[in-house]
Amino acid sequence: MDSMSALADAVSAGTVNGRLWFYSNYHCNLQCSYCLTESGPLVKRREFGRDAILARAAEAQELGFTGFGMTGGEPFIRDDMPQLVAELGSELPTIVLSNGTLLNERRLRELEPLADLPVHVQISLDRPDPVENDDMRGPENFRKVMEAIPKLVERGIGVRIATTLPDPDAVDPEERERLCELHRAMGIPDEDHVVRPIVNRGRAVTNAMGVLAGFEQLEPELTLTAEGAFYSPFGPTVRGGRLDTDLLVSRTTRPLSEPATALLRLAEQMPEGDDARIGIR
Amino acid sequence: MHPSPLVELIDREQAPLLARRFYGDGAASPITASLAQVPELLEVALPFVGVALGPVSLGARAKEVAILRTSALLECRYCVRSHTVVALDVGLSLEEVGALRGERPVDTVFTDERERAMIAWIDAVALGRGPVDPDVQAGASAVLDDHELVELTMAVTATLMLNRYCTALDLPTSPETEARLAAAGIT
Ligand code: SF4
Repeated sequence: MDSMSALADAVSAGTVNGRLWFYSNYHCNLQCSYCLTESGPLVKRREFGRDAILARAAEAQELGFTGFGMTGGEPFIRDDMPQLVAELGSELPTIVLSNGTLLNERRLRELEPLADLPVHVQISLDRPDPVENDDMRGPENFRKVMEAIPKLVERGIGVRIATTLPDPDAVDPEERERLCELHRAMGIPDEDHVVRPIVNRGRAVTNAMGVLAGFEQLEPELTLTAEGAFYSPFGPTVRGGRLDTDLLVSRTTRPLSEPATALLRLAEQMPEGDDARIGIR
Repeated sequence: MHPSPLVELIDREQAPLLARRFYGDGAASPITASLAQVPELLEVALPFVGVALGPVSLGARAKEVAILRTSALLECRYCVRSHTVVALDVGLSLEEVGALRGERPVDTVFTDERERAMIAWIDAVALGRGPVDPDVQAGASAVLDDHELVELTMAVTATLMLNRYCTALDLPTSPETEARLAAAGIT
């Protein structure tokens, strides 16, 4: 297939998302109660090697992808992550999802080159109050995040805030406003604050939380892990220690054209209309 | 006693997107449910096996003779048990099935010259190493057209692949197969 034009056409037509996601690793210093990947300090790491990520990223540009995303686990648990994100950001706009609690002075220094690049660090902050926030995400989470965000901002690094809630529509408007005042006070504009529902996968299933997200609800957004290519970044989740396969596209990740072609085939099977998608970001 | 599979058999709920169409309405076979671990493999392997082991021009009886005989020679528990049921379904007798399974002499049960030449060919391909005996080649060529010989040989070799796959991974036979065998009085 002429993968380049087919993928680029699908991206410009809006049938697939132009961002290519990487799951860098599955371990994390936290153990949030709604974690999609059941991450924690001792879980199987499933690390995706730096060279493999960069090789797929190079192919992605040739195929017509328009951006990169990095997620986990906690990406910044890896020492090579600042440099890796900078290399990706030198090629295409990049977003890295982080819990924001491992950004010590050394990491912050290593992240400084990101200020000159189209890179955003998306940090999780769920509630405007420490007790409620830390209830789901662990002790001291609120304080660490509130310290880290201004340090990124003052270095000129792009920051987005992600708020994940059981039911975003049911949130108290006064609480929502206090959260927004917090991020605005730290220099994060409203357009860089995303509020999304907990997705009922991974630990959220065990804890009976979140909205269902399957093939019909999700946008096609190619996502690579060390164990295969998935339909969406909400695909390679973990339950009971095993990787979910219901949104597995292929075990083949190279050449990238193979899973990209398979994703296009799947995208053609999507029901018509955006209303089928819950637009989780 | 059923062996436990060495790999997870993926259930319908966890079936990868491109594997879902192979799950049908009933329970997926252990071969399908294991191959679903690698959906791109499932997508090519299952249609291939379907044709290679399907009736095509030789017909279901000849194909089941090839599959059951090969599986018995390779001592593949899964394939012998599964295809004992299929062989009975396509009309082979209990005596014929027993002979193919090595439980009685083939020559006393299969008297048709064409089928005897086919079984000699199956035995040579399944168990042999190196070139096939020229007499067996000549015997098969005498009773089979070229396309039939190709089809029979591919049925044997595809079965060899499945025999080793199922045996190595300790795939369990389905409860339906075991129930059918029990009903037919076959252990
Ligand atoms: S939700 Fe994020 S921060 Fe929390 S345990 Fe999972 S990977 Fe770590």
